[in-house]
Amino acid sequence: MYNKNRQRVFMLMILPTFIGFFILYIVPTAMSFFYSLTNWSVYNADLQFVGLDNFRMLFEDSKTLAGIKNTIIYALITLVVQNAIAIILAVFLDKKSKSANFVKSLVFLPAVLSILVVGFLFQYIMTSADYGLLNNIIQFFGGDPVNWLGDKDIALYSVIATQVWQWSGWLMVIYIANLKSIDSALYEAADIDGASKMKKFFKITLPLLYPAASFNILLSLINGMKVFDVILAMTQGGPGYATETIMTTLIREGFNSGRNAYASALGVVFFIAVFILSRIVITFLNKWERKLS
Amino acid sequence: MKKKTIAFLLSMIMLVGTLIGCSNESGSEGEGSGSEDEVVKLRMMAYNPESTRTTYLQMLDEKLPNIEIEFEFVALDNFNNVLNAQLQAGEGPDIIEVGGEAKLLAKANYLLDLSDKDFTSKYVDAGLKPYSVDGGIYATPLQSWFEGIFYNKTIFEENGVEVPKTWDELIAISKKLAENGVKPQTMGAQSWEPMMKQSIGLVNNEFYADEANSDFDNKFNEGEAKLAEAWLPAVKEWSKIIDEEILTDDMLGLSYDQALDQFATGKAAMWESGPWAVPTILEKNPDIEIGMFPIPGTEEGPGWLIGGPGSALAINANSDYIDEAIQVLELTATEEAQLALVEDNAGSSFLEGVEVDLGEIYTDSEEAFKAGNVYAPWTAVWTSGNPIVQSYGKSLQEVLAGTKTVKEALQDADETNDNLRQTLN
Repeated sequence: MYNKNRQRVFMLMILPTFIGFFILYIVPTAMSFFYSLTNWSVYNADLQFVGLDNFRMLFEDSKTLAGIKNTIIYALITLVVQNAIAIILAVFLDKKSKSANFVKSLVFLPAVLSILVVGFLFQYIMTSADYGLLNNIIQFFGGDPVNWLGDKDIALYSVIATQVWQWSGWLMVIYIANLKSIDSALYEAADIDGASKMKKFFKITLPLLYPAASFNILLSLINGMKVFDVILAMTQGGPGYATETIMTTLIREGFNSGRNAYASALGVVFFIAVFILSRIVITFLNKWERKLS
Repeated sequence: MKKKTIAFLLSMIMLVGTLIGCSNESGSEGEGSGSEDEVVKLRMMAYNPESTRTTYLQMLDEKLPNIEIEFEFVALDNFNNVLNAQLQAGEGPDIIEVGGEAKLLAKANYLLDLSDKDFTSKYVDAGLKPYSVDGGIYATPLQSWFEGIFYNKTIFEENGVEVPKTWDELIAISKKLAENGVKPQTMGAQSWEPMMKQSIGLVNNEFYADEANSDFDNKFNEGEAKLAEAWLPAVKEWSKIIDEEILTDDMLGLSYDQALDQFATGKAAMWESGPWAVPTILEKNPDIEIGMFPIPGTEEGPGWLIGGPGSALAINANSDYIDEAIQVLELTATEEAQLALVEDNAGSSFLEGVEVDLGEIYTDSEEAFKAGNVYAPWTAVWTSGNPIVQSYGKSLQEVLAGTKTVKEALQDADETNDNLRQTLN
């Protein structure tokens, strides 16, 4: 039935997509690996090999390292917090009542907005100007105003907070879809055995959320690593370099400064960082999967 | 398991922000052989918005019926990204508004040499200098840009303070205003630009005013001179404004628009910016009375503004419509065009014999203009000015936050200069 001819037809069918993929992704990626070893710049006519110079400069540059560090902090915190909130919301809102449906759509709503819109909106909410909404609320209750986006120790977490707010609802929907597929017989059996609510959550619900969790965790990680637009809208990487990420650094060095080779090297480092982090997460997810079976 | 790994690897590859994939979709548009009856579409890419060029563009439209200008505004933040990506792909706009990067673009052969054209010689040398490389001239200047400190005349009167003549006076009146419960100065320090510019205003007064330092910028380009040594005394003087808590770290959470808003609504007495902000200020508060004074130095004098030729028009050497683009530049080199430019964005003209009346907002700056005290080293002479002042300005944000010293900020700028010289040579 599944003979070789048939296989060939299938291969032909994916060919158009594969060609596009090859030209638009694989070739440029390979080229940026190549360029990272040269002195390529838009302002520089002759191309020369410089070995690993770009990588050396990259790891000596505290600004670039700050970008890498911020990106990892951003990705890990959004991953953990978003998923934790999404699971809790999903478990509490997985009911068939009008009020639950209302809250569900309310929580999901921010995901409909563009990241840039949310970014600019929160820039006004969190500003240190007199009309800053958040600070006005705090002052109304007798607190001191906080410089949400201008304080180097807080700015990154302010940005993270907006993204958790925006995307938790999205992840929640995926978790709810997963919850529906869990066999209710399991809960009935647990009830007969007299299991507590907590026990049911940790022994039945959480382990069986594996399919949704593996998808959501990888999605959060990848979105976190490539964060760019919200930073641009809210802080432009500032104050100083406090909210620079790999992507903002890459754009700044590669295009604004014309150090294209340097930016290519950063792209390569980014590739490796994403690869290692995802490997770690996948290993963890595989262990989880094995436990289930 | 293995298939999974491969699928995963491929999906990771998709994620890598590939630099090369960003070529641009739009090249030189317009069809036809360019015969005289047909209308040629010219793309003009600029980092000053269309509102600052309305009168000028209208004039081009009337005077050159065979040319249709497609004005493309790209904010300065992204201008180099977009332009460089297009140029690298062998495309790009026909006419380019260039600033600090003109020399680099010219060296890389992206710009047309205009030195043999008649209209080029109509401009004074000071206007052409920033766009001259190895005997060639690659752009012709638009009106000058400048930036000083705006002040609210009503607030100044009510509190009995005068326009400051020295930096110490500026600090003194700021303190007085603060005592009276008025916020002396607002600043959109979330952007790295305003502190960078204001501090260079003091460097203009204390360092560039001295003839002996006229060679500094060229030496800086060659890596033989350092900001951390030459500029340090002046920038330290400027940083008194931070020590005295006139600029405060909460301003790091203010954007340009929010600072403009505070100044326009009378919540702050002073704000550092340039003529392009005036229409918006008046739109928000038509009754406001404002003036602009130059940045004062330690000793009494006319003061200095930050500014210079700033931007200019260049022609893409690979354009399909070079003749038409030259027509546009030719027309720009007339008094009528220059006055049309100044109409929407105040500045002086570099065309010989053109006098511009700036209006009463700038009365306090007149002396500085007469003395020729307008300078911005990074656009005038530095080879890769923008990235250097960006790293300087970002480090000044850290100075305002209290985590860096002024000297470290200047060293950061020196380091960026060294890196770029290394990369671009």
